Amino acid sequence: MKKDKFRLTRRQFLNATAAAGVLIGTSGAVGFAKSAAAEGEDTAPNLKTVRTTCSPNCTGACGLNAIVEDNEIKAIEQAADYPESEYNPRGCLKGLSMMNLVYGPDRLKTPLIQKGKPGSDELQPSTWDEALDFTAKRLKEIAEKYGPESIGVAFQVGGTGYVQKGAVSRLATLAGWNIHHAYDQNGDLPMFWPMTFGVQSEELEPREWLNSRYIAIFGSNIMATRLPDAHFLVEARNRGAKIVVFDPNFSPTAAKADEWVPLNVSSDGAVALGISKVIVDEKLYDEAFIKTFTDLPLLIRTDNGKRIKAEEVQDLSKPADVPAYRESYVAYNGQFIAIHPEKLDLPLDITLESEVEVPLKSGEKVKAKPAFLLLKESLEKYTPEEVEKESGVKKDTLVRIAHEMAATKPLHIVYGASNYQWYHGDLKGRALALINVLTGNLGQSGSGISTYAGQYRIRLKVAEWWVPEGRKQNWLPFLYMLNGPTKTMKAKYPKNGIKALIFGWGNPFDQHNMSNILRSKVESGELELVVTMDFQMTTSCKYSHVVLPAVTWYEKTDLVATPVHPYLQLQQPAITPVYEGKPELWIMRELAKRLNPEFEKYFYPGLDADQAAEEAIKLMLSTGGPTVEGITLEQLKKGPVRLKSEVPGNRQIPFYEQVQYKKPFPPVSLPVKLEQTAQFVKSGRIEFYKDEDIFLQAGEALPVHKPPFEESEYALNPQAREKYTFSYITRNAIYRVHSTHSNNIWMNELQESKPHVWLNPEDASEKGIQDGDEVEIYNDRGTVTAFAIVDPGAGRKVAVFEEGWWNRYLKGASYNSLTYPFIKPTHEVYFVPGMWAPNTAWNECLCDVRKVSDDR
Amino acid sequence: MRLGMVIDLDKCIGCRTCTVACKSHNAQPPGTWWNRVFTPGSSHHQTAIGEGEHLQMSFLPVSCQMCDNAPCQKVCPVGATYTDERGVVLVNYDRCIGCRYCIAACPYNVRQFNWEDPRKAKERVGYKEDYDYGYPTDVRDKQGQLVYTPNRPQGVVEKCTFCFQYTSKGEDPACVRSCPSKARIFGDLDDPDSEVSRLIRDRQAFRLKEELGTKPKVYYLPASKPNR
Repeated sequence: MKKDKFRLTRRQFLNATAAAGVLIGTSGAVGFAKSAAAEGEDTAPNLKTVRTTCSPNCTGACGLNAIVEDNEIKAIEQAADYPESEYNPRGCLKGLSMMNLVYGPDRLKTPLIQKGKPGSDELQPSTWDEALDFTAKRLKEIAEKYGPESIGVAFQVGGTGYVQKGAVSRLATLAGWNIHHAYDQNGDLPMFWPMTFGVQSEELEPREWLNSRYIAIFGSNIMATRLPDAHFLVEARNRGAKIVVFDPNFSPTAAKADEWVPLNVSSDGAVALGISKVIVDEKLYDEAFIKTFTDLPLLIRTDNGKRIKAEEVQDLSKPADVPAYRESYVAYNGQFIAIHPEKLDLPLDITLESEVEVPLKSGEKVKAKPAFLLLKESLEKYTPEEVEKESGVKKDTLVRIAHEMAATKPLHIVYGASNYQWYHGDLKGRALALINVLTGNLGQSGSGISTYAGQYRIRLKVAEWWVPEGRKQNWLPFLYMLNGPTKTMKAKYPKNGIKALIFGWGNPFDQHNMSNILRSKVESGELELVVTMDFQMTTSCKYSHVVLPAVTWYEKTDLVATPVHPYLQLQQPAITPVYEGKPELWIMRELAKRLNPEFEKYFYPGLDADQAAEEAIKLMLSTGGPTVEGITLEQLKKGPVRLKSEVPGNRQIPFYEQVQYKKPFPPVSLPVKLEQTAQFVKSGRIEFYKDEDIFLQAGEALPVHKPPFEESEYALNPQAREKYTFSYITRNAIYRVHSTHSNNIWMNELQESKPHVWLNPEDASEKGIQDGDEVEIYNDRGTVTAFAIVDPGAGRKVAVFEEGWWNRYLKGASYNSLTYPFIKPTHEVYFVPGMWAPNTAWNECLCDVRKVSDDR
Repeated sequence: MRLGMVIDLDKCIGCRTCTVACKSHNAQPPGTWWNRVFTPGSSHHQTAIGEGEHLQMSFLPVSCQMCDNAPCQKVCPVGATYTDERGVVLVNYDRCIGCRYCIAACPYNVRQFNWEDPRKAKERVGYKEDYDYGYPTDVRDKQGQLVYTPNRPQGVVEKCTFCFQYTSKGEDPACVRSCPSKARIFGDLDDPDSEVSRLIRDRQAFRLKEELGTKPKVYYLPASKPNR
């Protein structure tokens, strides 16, 4: 887009280079790498541009150009080459300052072996052969002694590197190790998704925000955590969409919104149910939509709370073609109807509100109510007055917003991770989804509910690369490693526990839930071997027995596709590895052949790491299924290619097929097979009524509001109620992608190299804390030190800390040592890795704050 | 031609990407930032001002305002600071004697001084030995004055050049190209049809400390709605 008239020379320049295109590795891209000398320049720099994809644990997946001179990155710019100009330029301050990590002081130079005690003694430099031989020998010993399933593997989220991370999955599968799925490890899995829609997670692509007319944001700070897409929100607002932000804190996102609604922490469920009550009571719901797509017409026995199955009812039977993972339930329109779970074709005269008596084949007659009627009864208590008491949201505001939401289409709800990473995050999500579904805001442009956290989603079929020969894989949610096994768990706990840990792309000994416990497991010898792959000397490296230096995304080849961003893109090496680092695929191949000579053939022996990666990409593209059909490596080398979808224009609109073509729920969640996730919603419909025993026992058959801490912190320690009255919220900052960039020199200059805690002025005053004071945030489990920012926008009784700081900035403490690995029983009803699994509730954490100088 | 910039504060989300793009392309040593983004009224970025539910938060990027009537240029005893034929205020590093009168004179506090040899500063923070980021070669204007060099001599003053190395070739400055919100627009203020001229006419543009008579060529567009 030409913005002004003066740039004649630019146009001439573009014309001159248009024929060549902006190809990888050619000099002559716009900007920095332009070959002509600037005015009066003695010599033009000899620069080349390499297009790659920024790939920390971030959903951005921004296409970036490395500007390279003599095998050294001089600057990084946004590639700005997406065919839809709205997506350009895509990239933020972290990605553009990545040179600080590539060439920074913490870069690992050689492999390292710990010959003394991990955590206290220095690691010793070694050769690759030494480190790999040692690692393989120890892994073999441990597998022999405890079984291979006692070796845990974590490679973080798949979306940021299908090839290199796939190589780890490939070896883990061959060797029979246990894989910890990052999506639940990170607490990013919003459990309301599988419970309600039978999917892992879904989200509207950001360009679709422009088509919304009402965007309600519950605890998501898009202006700080979705930097490349934030502009769409401002543009949507300027095009007339109303933006309402529900947040205990006045965030940058609240500042850009039309309306900020402060509320008590984790009271969003009450607000959503209060809104739903208004919609139901005033009949503002879309009746045809809920009859067609939801389980609300299904009959529920009033005596035991179970859904009535067609096969139980006199004169009804389950249709013959219902697959084993589905069930046929019953509705009533004067007669009983066996609902086919794969046909969304119920007659619209079915009852939603009448109690009926159902004759069973056993001769028994049972009373039953449609789920809708039970919902209506359950909503009775969420009166505007009651919701105000619970949430602090004024009753008039609640009713007004309910009316606005019911009257404005398309409605999009954003439910932020900071909000769902709570013990009852699932209930809040189910309650929020109810608003969308009651009003029929789903499966259409600009409508739906989105969560936007994590690179969980695998966007193509990866089995050919990730799971050699379709072998069985072992998966263990990370929380069980911290918490130990539970009676109700469905995942298989290894008989000897986890004795060795191999991981890459993460810093669990610093960043994870109870990392202090993880550290003590190494120090005590319970974890006998820890192997880290990383390009930097992280805290976790220091607790490892072996450190294998990996490389950044500027030094290797990979394939990238994250959930929020609808493009398939390459990582391409801009420089040769700085120091001795190697791509993970190479490391896995070297380990594989040492573990078992038979394994080497699975990793393209004889090819260099980049050639091997290209072969893996070709394999995944040719076997990846409909989303990548026809996409070739050659195309990807020229630039990003939009993934295919069933939506016109390949847009990313969740449940489009379900709503437009009446296909049963759920759509498939790759990489698992449909039957694995379809069992979550056996009715083939959107389910608000869950009749599995654990839900019934918990009183959570329907979405209800449960206040925070009652079943977590107070159950663990009743004294916490008086002792710890502050919520410890760990939000994301603009300066880090989790812990990546924590040591970025420029990022730290921008924040005085100081971790901060945001406190409400009244709370600060009560605690005798002034702006700038050094403050301890603490509970029985840990203490973290930060500098106070007295913020009039901070909610009452919250201590807001920005996550990601390495422990070196926190006096050696991990800020997550305050958290606890709570496991909620409803998360154990099924187990499908990363899709229905117990996951971390980072923000379900109480603390107190005190000025450092205070007496203790 | 008179080069100028418009910064749309409605679009600015305070993300500081421009800050970093500026720093990298112009090889600013550790501690030096030509272009900064503030939260006006607050001592902490992205932190609200106000009381109770009456809160505000807005963002303000500030770099050299490229004044038509530049106080820094007037006080320079050696003519190191000058305005080129396109209206860009520049520093000739060969001529600067490091007296820092310009730093005192600048009402926008955007000039930075090289107290230390940039190579030493980079070594101190621990970059790989001899690693240099930024545009890698010297750039001189038509008269041969040194307006950019990747490692500035110790004891000279530096500041935004509107990315001379790019804009002299017809490119946009790095901050403009990198803004994920497209909040920055660059162009010719003398051309009534340019986008900058149009925006200044249509959008109640304002300039910082207009009352001082410095006549900046950086204009700001107010938010279309109050940032409540």
